[in-house]
Amino acid sequence: MTTNVPALDAGAAAAGPRRNFLDVATGFWSWASTLDHKRIGLMYLVGVSLAFLCGGLFALLVRLHLWEPHGTLFSNADYNQIFTLHGAFMVFLFVIPAIPGSLGNILLPLMLGAKDVALPRLNLLSFYLWLVGAALATLAIVFGGFDTGWTFYTPYSLYTEQAVVTIGLAVFVLGFSSIFTGLNFIVTVHKLRAPGMTWFRMPLFVWALYATSLLQVLATPVLGITVLLVAFERLYHVGIFDPRLGGDPVLFEHFFWFYSHPAVYIMVLPAFGIISELVSVHSRKPVFGYKLIAYSSIAIAVISFLVWGHHMFTSGQSTYAMFAFSFLTFFVAIPTAIKEFSWVATVWRGSIALNSPMLYTLAFLIIFSIGGLTGVILGALAVNLHLHDTYFVVAHFHYVMMGSIAVAFFAGLHHWWPKIFGVMYDEFLAKIACGIIFVGFNATFIPQFIMGSRGMPRRYATYVPDYTDFHKASTIGAIVLGCGIALMVYYLVASLFQRRQAMQNHWGGVTLEWHAPTPPPVENFTTPPVVTTEVYDYSTLDLDTMRRPVQ
Amino acid sequence: MSHDGHHAVVIPAPGPEFQPHTVAHHFDTPVQEFQSAKLGFWLFLATEILLFGGLFAAYFYFHEMYPETFRLGGKQLDWQLGALNTAVLLASSWTMAMGVRAAQTSQKKLLLRYCGLTVLGALIFMAVKFVEYSAKDAHGFVVFADLFAPYDTATGQIPWFQDYDGHMAGVPHGHLFFAIYLTMTAIHGLHVLIGAGLILWIMKGAAKGRFHAGYYLPVDLVGLYWHLVDLIWIFLFPLLYLVP
Amino acid sequence: MTVHDHDAHAGSGALQMGHHHVSSAALFAKVLVALLILTAITVGASRIHFGAANMLIAMFLACVKASLVMAFFMHLKWDTAINKIVFFGSFLFLSLLIVFTIADQTTRRMDGKWHVQKSPVQYEWVHPRLLTDKKD
Ligand SMILES: [Cu+2]
Repeated sequence: MTTNVPALDAGAAAAGPRRNFLDVATGFWSWASTLDHKRIGLMYLVGVSLAFLCGGLFALLVRLHLWEPHGTLFSNADYNQIFTLHGAFMVFLFVIPAIPGSLGNILLPLMLGAKDVALPRLNLLSFYLWLVGAALATLAIVFGGFDTGWTFYTPYSLYTEQAVVTIGLAVFVLGFSSIFTGLNFIVTVHKLRAPGMTWFRMPLFVWALYATSLLQVLATPVLGITVLLVAFERLYHVGIFDPRLGGDPVLFEHFFWFYSHPAVYIMVLPAFGIISELVSVHSRKPVFGYKLIAYSSIAIAVISFLVWGHHMFTSGQSTYAMFAFSFLTFFVAIPTAIKEFSWVATVWRGSIALNSPMLYTLAFLIIFSIGGLTGVILGALAVNLHLHDTYFVVAHFHYVMMGSIAVAFFAGLHHWWPKIFGVMYDEFLAKIACGIIFVGFNATFIPQFIMGSRGMPRRYATYVPDYTDFHKASTIGAIVLGCGIALMVYYLVASLFQRRQAMQNHWGGVTLEWHAPTPPPVENFTTPPVVTTEVYDYSTLDLDTMRRPVQ
Repeated sequence: MSHDGHHAVVIPAPGPEFQPHTVAHHFDTPVQEFQSAKLGFWLFLATEILLFGGLFAAYFYFHEMYPETFRLGGKQLDWQLGALNTAVLLASSWTMAMGVRAAQTSQKKLLLRYCGLTVLGALIFMAVKFVEYSAKDAHGFVVFADLFAPYDTATGQIPWFQDYDGHMAGVPHGHLFFAIYLTMTAIHGLHVLIGAGLILWIMKGAAKGRFHAGYYLPVDLVGLYWHLVDLIWIFLFPLLYLVP
Repeated sequence: MTVHDHDAHAGSGALQMGHHHVSSAALFAKVLVALLILTAITVGASRIHFGAANMLIAMFLACVKASLVMAFFMHLKWDTAINKIVFFGSFLFLSLLIVFTIADQTTRRMDGKWHVQKSPVQYEWVHPRLLTDKKD
């Protein structure tokens, strides 16, 4: 893609050291009150990373506890709290906001050629709501914790003597944080595209974020009212979810999964978007089936509203509803497979550069194939009745949540790190860490597939000794995975202090964000860009400016 | 569009009693700013529809489950008060629409007057609501003093549902209708209060001359919010007071 | 009813805001009268017993009223296509929630022997009035 300006603004360099968005102002207040989408995105990055490390710590505690059949670390009640904390922190504070909040915020306006998101104040509010939600979730631990699982199923969540109202409030606030981010992105995509940036010249990451935003806006309010009703139920006994009072817990599950199934795509669609970008840049080849990938994001978003009942096959739902939900579930596989095949076809015969972002991308492609296909297995009604609430389900959604989404997030982080900070991390360590994470991840969850198919139920603090070897293997895998992530955190943070210069266009991308100076100035582009060529047209790549180092 | 980004677009004031409006720096034109905010607000209204929608889904679910409870429960509500409140809200929606029109045509005094009338409508609505809630309290359908008291797990008796006169004695789970009635009308009432607050904020800006034909965006958006409150009530009224 | 009346005295800044529709006061008055009449019809219709059709009639009338508010008071009739799609889309997705949950509810009782029976509720519900009667 070319613009009406050279990729690197020559005039700015002549005028002395350029002020980028990082050093244009300093001090706590310049960050706390910023309306710049890039700074808000960086604050999100710090926030979600801390939440991820907390959630990861809880996960390690869970795995260590399960080393022995009788449990090693906690009482059963404490174990229930720890796995709930792991789920709640990971889902609500990390996986849902991670990619849109950090990379999405930083890149969406850049990729569209805009100066900012359409509603910068709302963007900042959205981050502060995330902070309030995180604070409330932490407060809930102080108030006695919560042991309901991240799903808050009634009636247990109505009767348990714990801080369910506080964590419910946290989820409500985090929901609105997510809604506002999505709303902002939709408006930005509709109203702030640069001249010449038609819908089918938008990078696929933007398409994916757009589809995600539709889900955030349409599904999250139902979660909001659901957790409010649980809170009301505990405060003044509305009765609609309480079987003692004539209510129906199955209604809660309907409400909850009306949000939480689409939420799976709120989490995974941005990851798809990152992968679509990366396979193209690191194979130096236009995306195969660009329009198909774009449309399939929208198709996934729409279909995801029709399948939520597949989480409720053992809940007492009507048999007819189960038939319908199981049948409709298979349709999600079609647009998802379109994406997977398109990525593979993009890499095929490309000039593949095995840079660290590409290694993470390849790890994603392998892991997501397994995660997606086991999802189809679980969508089949008869099989699901057998595997419901076993470790097979746990392994399946970790292949999607951790193995696919988190790995795609890492891939994107490695890809755009030199763009955002203008510095490069240690590529050698990055490749090592990627390998450790891939091995550790599979070592953790392959045993869980096996023991799940043999009947090991999820969320139990103890287990029969027959499963001991699988649990031990899984725990060792988790420790390896943790080491890989620790190494990644180390070299990424270290790169900020070592200040090894990156190149202007480090990987040779041609989407608009690579046309902005590195790191971008506050207004993103020194001259407003005008788009004249198609997206992913690598013939427009200017190798001279690309390889110029950042000052 | 200037290159340094410091040159801001300004909409001039149509008269001395008005203020000009400066377009935010990241927009190129006033139209872009207007349309962005408008689309954002419609999306927000869509989330409000889905938030309330959960309550409507619960209503239909239990209407289907316990039709007799709902039929009898609806009879305990005062449909005349409900109809009065419907008329009040519809009229206030009309005054709000006229207020937006006054802003569009730069009629400052008229804008203030119509906004004032709309707030008055909100106050009347809440006053009627108070009368209604008091009657429910007197019959023991919703005993507000015991609203948050814990319930007896052995008998399943909910402290806030006493039904002193036994109106609901013949049907199962009589409290369910009133729980849904209370939750829906209370959340709706909260929206009425928020809406009234927003209109007062509009009046403050209008008095300073911030809104005129060139820039009436906030008036338009608050107007939309107020109409949404009306919209929800249009469905609540027949469902609760005239249970079909 | 005449619609789409443009008001002559839009202020000088109006052009800079792009094309905006200013409805006539007479139109708004007519809409209000129509809404009030429809409210009266809603109350009247609820008095006549049509059985299950009562719900459909009440919801139909409410939808008509809502459409009037949306089209005229909310200016949606003259708004951009995307804003219309957004707002109507929210009703569409809401209907998915309602239709699927109600469909589950109503088909559950047709399940017969296929279906796992729900375990009986542990505590039978007793009307509070009867409890106090016993104490007396
Ligand atoms: Cu699902």
